[in-house]
Amino acid sequence: MDALVDPFSAPYMQRALLAVVLLAVAGGLFGAWIALRRLAFFTHAVGTATFPGLVVAGPAGIAAPVAALGAAALYTAGLARLLRDGRLASDAATGLMLVAALAIGSILAGDVFESGAEVDRLLFGTLLGLSDGDLWLAGAVAALAVGCTAVLGRTWLATGFDPGAARSLGVPAALGDWLLLAMLALAVVAALPCVGALLVSTLLVVPSATARLLAGSMRGLLAGGVALALAEGVGGLLAADELNLPPGPAIAVLGGAVFGLAALARRLR
Amino acid sequence: MSLVEARDLATGYDGLRAALRGVTFTVQEGQAIAVLGPNGGGKTTLLRVLLGELAVLAGTCTVAGRAAYVAQSGRARLDFPVSALDVVLMGAYARTSPWRRLGRAERARATAMLDRVGLAGRAGERFGTLSGGQRQRVLIARALLQDAPLLLLDEPFTGVDRASEAELLAILDELRAEGRGLLVSTHDIEHARRWDRVLCLNGVQIAFGPPGEALTPQILHATYGEELVTLGEETVAVHAHHHD
Repeated sequence: MDALVDPFSAPYMQRALLAVVLLAVAGGLFGAWIALRRLAFFTHAVGTATFPGLVVAGPAGIAAPVAALGAAALYTAGLARLLRDGRLASDAATGLMLVAALAIGSILAGDVFESGAEVDRLLFGTLLGLSDGDLWLAGAVAALAVGCTAVLGRTWLATGFDPGAARSLGVPAALGDWLLLAMLALAVVAALPCVGALLVSTLLVVPSATARLLAGSMRGLLAGGVALALAEGVGGLLAADELNLPPGPAIAVLGGAVFGLAALARRLR
Repeated sequence: MSLVEARDLATGYDGLRAALRGVTFTVQEGQAIAVLGPNGGGKTTLLRVLLGELAVLAGTCTVAGRAAYVAQSGRARLDFPVSALDVVLMGAYARTSPWRRLGRAERARATAMLDRVGLAGRAGERFGTLSGGQRQRVLIARALLQDAPLLLLDEPFTGVDRASEAELLAILDELRAEGRGLLVSTHDIEHARRWDRVLCLNGVQIAFGPPGEALTPQILHATYGEELVTLGEETVAVHAHHHD
């Protein structure tokens, strides 16, 4: 038991634990909608797209979340433009924009601002130095995840299940879709300090994708996603502290392993 | 009472060009109208303008009360973790505040609707594991829970076996008998013969009237063009290309 409690005696680990708990609530709830609405690739791409924004934020003196949100908005607008004439498939356009974001980010980091070791932190997150602002943002996004799932859950469910009938069922389908994408962008930005731009999926996608393999109901999917995000987040945090790793990769490896086991269990069932 | 009154209606997707025009018809209480036409002929477009999703570009279109839309069951996401009862309960969303739980009364009504379509014992089953005909009946139960006087059914017999088809037809007859209006888009001319009126569309309205008047070989030729196959003197059949 001490092995589990001891690492959290350090203040930086207590802050990291609080961040992971709050992000697990947001990740598990929003993750359910990401899994159902097939937005996993979009979420991953938005995370990556924030990288150039984060690189610019420090030297330009802009708050990191603001720069990240700006980059995410630019990314979404660029994607919409690429898709407008219908000649490019959405996965190809997403892939293209993803590569562009990484390339611009690394050129800015390497040659313009010479960010050096900073890049690792931006891409894979850190346990150290989570600010009060990071925690407040994680808390706000967790509260939004609970509130939105309660108020918009039926809209998101009906629209995703049967888009053609959504309007006749009296749900605000278009507004719901816009709010879902906006919430996902916010959740991505909140997860950045902890797991980094490349690995936001570890908290926002993987736990709910795993829960989806096992859950037979919406309630099971939502609760299972939160429980798995919590377990994987805390487990990854302990592993990161023990092995001196950035937390993003540690949580990602654990999440991947649990997903593999769940897929195997489902096959054997 | 007229549930739908359309006069020289034109509608389209981009708000400028009409995908469908010259449509004049009515749906009275207790009437079932078959909407016939080739793919791209405007059947779904008509249903969508009646739902208020598309703009009326010319003419008039009045719908009394809210219409319920019954999509092809294959269009719904079969991988969602929702039971038959969950799907029917969506019919109560419009009258329940989003932050309030769907109460016991709504659940009881939803169960009663499932019972009406002969699926009382399947309430807890995953929607995606039901057969095509059973899924279609669940979607009809959802429309019934919406309490809509008008049901718009988009090719309800697609992907449904013969036995389920007979059950579906019996349910539709019951709904008609209790005064609801039905607008049923279909590829099947034999089904169309059962209904009170037939509306033939191919970008424009070709005909509207009782089956005896609207299902003549000339009108069917004008409606379907090349897609029509004539077998012998009387029988006509249509190549049904289902869009996906």
